[in-house]
Amino acid sequence: MAQEELEIEIGPDGKVTVTTKGIKGPACMDYADLIARIVGREEHREKTAEYYEQAEQIDRHIDIKQRR
Amino acid sequence: MSSCVIVTPLIIAGWPVISAAVTAAVGSLGYSIVLPSAAVQTDATAKTRTRAEIDIDDSEVLQETGAAGGQIVVERDGIRALFSRDARGALKLCVEGDGHTKAELKKIGEELIGRVTQQYAYHKIVTELQQRNMSIVDEQVSADRTVKIRVRNL
Repeated sequence: MAQEELEIEIGPDGKVTVTTKGIKGPACMDYADLIARIVGREEHREKTAEYYEQAEQIDRHIDIKQRR
Repeated sequence: MSSCVIVTPLIIAGWPVISAAVTAAVGSLGYSIVLPSAAVQTDATAKTRTRAEIDIDDSEVLQETGAAGGQIVVERDGIRALFSRDARGALKLCVEGDGHTKAELKKIGEELIGRVTQQYAYHKIVTELQQRNMSIVDEQVSADRTVKIRVRNL
């Protein structure tokens, strides 16, 4: 199981980029919200490739269930 | 699942916290802090210098009871930068120096503000995450001075 981690980059202009790793479910958004609250104003948010991999697996699972 | 968030820091703190961020930032850029008395003595010669003023809109210097508010003056290669609290309570930077255009001084000032914001954000994030029982497992500074930290739940 992947270790739950936050990768935080603070640029020389002060801009903060936070990437969550291995955090399943809505918790990944909770961590992103937490950093945004601590630091300031959220500029941009996106779901990474890992997010979509997980989402695809869930969709397939639902699809199989519906065919039965 | 994973997500990526980009956040612009808002500097909201008392003068001691801002002062600490300024001190940490300017040292890494080769500036040295000038004592207020020395700054006042040479102010008479400042009238002819080019000057650029930058208001940091995303900031609020909180007035704390008993805390010494004020200003910080730093210098490097004939360039003087003054950090202070403006009338609205925001952080303000004034950069002056001979032989530089206003645009050059503004660029220098923006670099300084960026680094102060970086220091402020770093300390705020680290302090708040440690209070939430999270620990830093790795920390690096890249060639472009980006600080990279990896954090895990304890």
